[in-house]
Order: sequence, then structure tokens, then C-alpha cells
Amino acid sequence: MTDERALIAASKSGDSAALDALVRTHQDRVYSFAMRMCRNVEDAKDILQETFLGVIRSIREFREESKFSTWLYRIASNACLKKRRRGVHEPTPEQEFSLDDLMPRPDAEGRRPEIADWSGDAERALLHGELSARMENAIDKLPKDYKIVLVLRDVEGLSAEETAQAVGLSVPAVKSRLHRARVFIRRELADYLAGPQTR
Amino acid sequence: MSDAQRPFDHTHDGMSMTCRELFERLSEYVDGELSQEICEEIRKHLDGCDPCVNFAKTLKTTANLCRRLPSQPIPPAVAADLHRFLSDHLPRPR
Repeated sequence: MTDERALIAASKSGDSAALDALVRTHQDRVYSFAMRMCRNVEDAKDILQETFLGVIRSIREFREESKFSTWLYRIASNACLKKRRRGVHEPTPEQEFSLDDLMPRPDAEGRRPEIADWSGDAERALLHGELSARMENAIDKLPKDYKIVLVLRDVEGLSAEETAQAVGLSVPAVKSRLHRARVFIRRELADYLAGPQTR
Repeated sequence: MSDAQRPFDHTHDGMSMTCRELFERLSEYVDGELSQEICEEIRKHLDGCDPCVNFAKTLKTTANLCRRLPSQPIPPAVAADLHRFLSDHLPRPR
């Protein structure tokens, strides 16, 4: 993006108007990410300020080997991971998600699980606006290390490589966390859309 | 652990991949990140295993639904606070 490159170059040479324009271009993106990560306006404001303060202080160190947005997500991710949630949102205990715990289980007689195809129901529920809040709540139940990977990869649309750069993990570690997080969200949706017997 | 307790951990006739092995790779499969060879094995398994087909479809739907969650634009008052805060830290115009 040529305009953004020009803004970055001007920002590096101390042009405050260019820095201000960079902030305005990306403030919605960072706010939305921060709100989804902490679901608290005050914490999101802190993350927003810390992220853009980080940009102003270290723009000269941005070597343009990645997209500017990936670098920005890296600063915002660090700010989110440092932040402890406050108020009614207690910190989610960090835990390893075991795939065995997330896999569909047989019934009491040991028969293979029934797995319903609720894809069409999900589309309809999304269109009627029922599903967004349910999904946000499910995402919020994830341990933070898994949540940040799912939000960056599946909600914000970063590639696995960009997500790995943003959170400082290897690509295989990102894929492993993403899979566990997706399977967890899928199970929560299945409980809602098809009932726990057919998840 | 007995077979009954080990959910999804079995092969079907003529398949080299178990449900469990497929389950581990499903996100990479729906994201198109696996080799042709592994995709072919997965497709063979899916041809004869309805639970895995439904699991794969709903996992893909889950990822697609996440992508369509609405973003939350910054409220004007929060944006004003941000710019007030940053104005003290921006370089002075030369």
C-alpha cells in the first residue's frame, strides 16, 4: 500500500501529521481487537493508548519486513497479554487444552457419537442476529493464550505466519492452539444449535 | 483405555487413517494447508465416515462464522481521549 508506505517513511522522519494519520487509519482495528480480547472499555482504552504510544516510540525500529498491521498487532497483543482483566471478568486460568478432552465422546454404551450437521442452522441464526453474542461468549471462555490466536487468525483474518509473528510463537504452535480453540468454539455452538447429545 | 472409552479412535474398512488422526489435522485440512497426499487420505476417510464429514463441515462453519463477527468501531469519545493522550507524545512539528 503505497500511501501507507509514504506515511510510515514520513513518520520515521518525525512527521507528527503522518503519525497522526497512521493512528487514525488503524484505531478502529486496534480498538475492536482490544475490546474482543478484554471485553471492557477501560481496559481497551489502556491497550489502545499503550499500543499507539509504542508505535510513536518505536516506528523507527519497524523494518518493514512484515505488514505494518502485523507489527501493530504484535504491540497490541503484548499489551493485551500483559493486561489483567478487572471487574467482573476474572482472569481465565491458563490451561492446556487436551484434544482428548475436546473430541466427541461415545455414549454410555460405548457407541460412536452422533454428530449433527448444523451448518445451515448456524447461517440462519447468524442472519437473525442470535449467534454473535453466543459466539463472543464462547470466545471469551477460552484461555487467553488460545483466545488471542483464534481472534487474530479467524476473527481478524491474519495468516498463520502473521499470527505467529504477532504473538511470538512458531507456526506449528499457532496451528495447534488454533485447532484446539476452534474445536472448543465448535462444541459450544453445537450445544446451542443441536444440543449436547449430538455435538 | 478400552476401545469404547477411546472415542473416535478407530479405522474403518480399507482406511489407513483413524478418526482420531483425521481429527488432529482437520483445521489444517479446512484451511487448505496440507499436502495433496494427506488430503487424499482424508478424503478417502470422509467418503466412508459420516460423523467425520459432519464434524469437518461444522468446524469449517465455525471458522467462517468467526470471520463474520462484527467489528466494533471506536466510539468518538474514546478516539478523542486517545488523540488527546497521544498529542503529548507526538514529535513537535518542525
